[in-house]
Amino acid sequence: MIVADPKPFLQVKGYLEDFQKVLVVGCGTCTTVCLSGGEAEVQILASGLRIAFGKDGRKKTILEGCVQRQCDLEFIVPVLSQVEAEGIDAVVSLACGVGVNFLADRLGNIPIFPGLDTTFYGANMQQGLWAEMCAGCGSCIVAYTGGICPVARCSKHLLNGPCGGSEKGKCEVDPKNIDCVWQLIYDRLKRLGRLEDLRNLLPAKDWSTASDGGVRRSAREQLYDVK
Amino acid sequence: MSMDKSSQGSLQSIAGDVLPTCSAACPVHTDTREYVQRISKGDYEGALDVLLEVNPFPSVCGRICHHPCESKCRRVAIDEAVSLRMLKRFVVENTAAHRIARRKKAVQINSDKSAAIIGAGPAGLTAAMDLALRGYKVKVYEKDTKLGGMLAHAIPRYRLPPEALAQDIEDILATGIEVHFGSSVGVDISFEQLRKENDAVLIAVGLSESHSLPIPGTGSKGVFLGVTFLWDVANGLCPELGERTLVIGGGNVAIDIARAAKRLGPKNVYMACLESREEMPAWKWEIAEAEEEGIEILNSWGPKAILEKDGAVRAMEFRRCASVFDAQRRFSPSYDESVTNTVEVDSVILGIGQKANLDFLLGSEVSVNGGRLTCDRESMATSEPGVFACGEVMTGPGSAIQAVGTGHDAAKVLAHYLETGEILKLPDKNTINIGELPAATAAKARRLDRVCVDLTDPAERIKDFSPIEPVYTEEEALSESRRCLSCATGAHLQFPNHCAGCLTCVRICPFGVAQVRRTAFMPPQECQTCGLCAAECPAFAIEVLRFPTAAMKKSMVENVAGLDLERVARPFLIAYCCVNGTTSRKYLKDQSAGEIMETGVLRILVPCVGRLSMADLVSPFELGADKVAVVSCPEGACYYPRVEGWLERRITRTQRYLDEIGLGGEKLQLFKMEGSGDESWTRIWERFRAVNLETAVGR
Repeated sequence: MIVADPKPFLQVKGYLEDFQKVLVVGCGTCTTVCLSGGEAEVQILASGLRIAFGKDGRKKTILEGCVQRQCDLEFIVPVLSQVEAEGIDAVVSLACGVGVNFLADRLGNIPIFPGLDTTFYGANMQQGLWAEMCAGCGSCIVAYTGGICPVARCSKHLLNGPCGGSEKGKCEVDPKNIDCVWQLIYDRLKRLGRLEDLRNLLPAKDWSTASDGGVRRSAREQLYDVK
Repeated sequence: MSMDKSSQGSLQSIAGDVLPTCSAACPVHTDTREYVQRISKGDYEGALDVLLEVNPFPSVCGRICHHPCESKCRRVAIDEAVSLRMLKRFVVENTAAHRIARRKKAVQINSDKSAAIIGAGPAGLTAAMDLALRGYKVKVYEKDTKLGGMLAHAIPRYRLPPEALAQDIEDILATGIEVHFGSSVGVDISFEQLRKENDAVLIAVGLSESHSLPIPGTGSKGVFLGVTFLWDVANGLCPELGERTLVIGGGNVAIDIARAAKRLGPKNVYMACLESREEMPAWKWEIAEAEEEGIEILNSWGPKAILEKDGAVRAMEFRRCASVFDAQRRFSPSYDESVTNTVEVDSVILGIGQKANLDFLLGSEVSVNGGRLTCDRESMATSEPGVFACGEVMTGPGSAIQAVGTGHDAAKVLAHYLETGEILKLPDKNTINIGELPAATAAKARRLDRVCVDLTDPAERIKDFSPIEPVYTEEEALSESRRCLSCATGAHLQFPNHCAGCLTCVRICPFGVAQVRRTAFMPPQECQTCGLCAAECPAFAIEVLRFPTAAMKKSMVENVAGLDLERVARPFLIAYCCVNGTTSRKYLKDQSAGEIMETGVLRILVPCVGRLSMADLVSPFELGADKVAVVSCPEGACYYPRVEGWLERRITRTQRYLDEIGLGGEKLQLFKMEGSGDESWTRIWERFRAVNLETAVGR
């Protein structure tokens, strides 16, 4: 799942100073699950904006909406129609960056602002806490590391670790909250009886499948129309 | 029948065919949950409306119902049943004016068909009322001068004072039924004439005569038949009892007889019955109350002979009853003749059961077999076309509310017959109920003591026939009503397409009942209605049926819209208060706009403030509130586990947000009640309003 955190309120308010009619639109998938961009957060942000602008003596119209996913055209069509029909001046998206971009591409001359900072692909550790698990590098190596990703979970993204900053299984960057992923990989391979795998050093990674190779596309052959 | 635990019973189905166990157990399916919830909201009049919907005898039932609803109350899995009968009594005794105002009037007779009803007990009167309200001409023939049957003649006044019965009867008479008092069918008017004059006849004569015993000595002076005895007592004729009085029988009527006898002055009152203590058919609480009054119960003794001297009772001889029932649980007592017992007594009252007096049917075609009226239970039809039966003459000994139920059924059957000339087979009476509260859920629920009242001291109560049980005070009734679990009105996925399956509900549910089956699912038979999942759901996809916060918000918006915000006393406080703190309905009533403007306080009562979401806490400021107070139960007193902690964290989160938006987090405060809400709310509101008086949003 994509994890995103709420932006500071005043930052979002600052984006909207010049606009009169604003639509705050949430996303019903990842950011709902990570408790930052669902129906509830939309209401809370919209309410806060109305109160804060009202306190400044400026009455603005702040509308609320939420779609199932902002990263699919069919789901955002109603938002696009609403923006046009109701003469909305600006949109605040509580989706991850994907939703913001996807909407921006289709909003014509209407500005859109992010309400969240998109952070990582992660998993839920407990109610209200998520941790990064994958970096989306485009060529997965976890077959050799016991299913645990050093690209995402090592502070230095080391392919052959650990480094000298590993102490008592913790990473020196933040020993309280970050495990040394190479310790985790070692423990896991040991449990799997595959410690020998560590002798095969991983070669330098081809980062062209990651963002280094340019903007990425993903296609399912025969399932899309080639133009 | 219980609902399969694994089935995905939806609240819709619960609201339809699947009944809470209390309603399912009630012979007339009183919407118990609804009337108790109305009491808890201070709507006592609305509660009475619910009661009268199905039961024309709520005053009687508030006093003497054997409350099968309580026996099946799901709260027993946690502690004790909700005291539903006492709540019912509270309602009827606090809504007298409303009852008169809402009284149903006679409807225009709209049929040329008429029905005669023999007997004005609960069954006959219920049927009469239903038929009259359907527009039929109804004539009730009552051999006595009072209405109510056994309720009027056989239940001692200390349990059912005549004014309680009269309250119910007045309602029924208002529906325009024609009553022939003192008109004994078979004596004053023949059964055949009734048939000739009417299109249908309903036999509702009850079981008005006591069985005697086939033993020597029953003709002696000092031997009384139970029903006759009770009739005399009820009508102020005091039968002369000796110092030592013995009641034969172990049922509820025998207990009534013994307790009535005790009030007439004998030094010793004994009860003797075939059954062992555990087998006694009388209700346990009745037995306990009888013993408190000094009645001695002799178990497992069979009457052998009443011994006399000079024609008067001298003693009662017993033989040991070895067993009461045979292997098939049929009544078939066996005795050990070698063990006998003689008790010296002066009076003997036979309370071993009743039978119907069907003499009026002699010479008619209506079939009577072995003293019992032949009657098909499904269609309530006797052997003769157009002649039907209801109440105890059909069912055998039963309760008042059961008789009422058969009265309703009889009205349906008769109406069908009057319209079509055909017999109506009543549908299967089996209801589906939601089943017991699962033990795992019950174990997590907070125990709440049942509100009990003290009966009059036994030494005092045996002095006369004064009622022995006080009615609940308002505070007691509100407190008891809040023990109701309001089964199957809990959290429910109102907007399934909003649910992202995020698992927040599962992780936060203090009862461990929420599930995600692709989307959230809160099993209605397990959810305890705390509302925590709804408050924390990031998609606002969950509502609590018992108290939808969306409706609360709507009413808050409407309330504020009705105010002149320029003239509201400032600071304007919106106070969310836990309804569980009320001890009267003072604060449960709607506030007028004038009151809100004058006091500067809009109160919103919530059944547990733990269900307020962060948006609920922010939105009052948008409406113009200067401050928002959340007043919860006293420390540690919340009805739901873990809710206090989650509420505190939510308040902190919201305060930080209010700081962030520049409003100031201190404008939202959480308070804990000190004592009851009635005692402490005004103080809390005023104290909070007095702090930092210049605050005002947007001004």
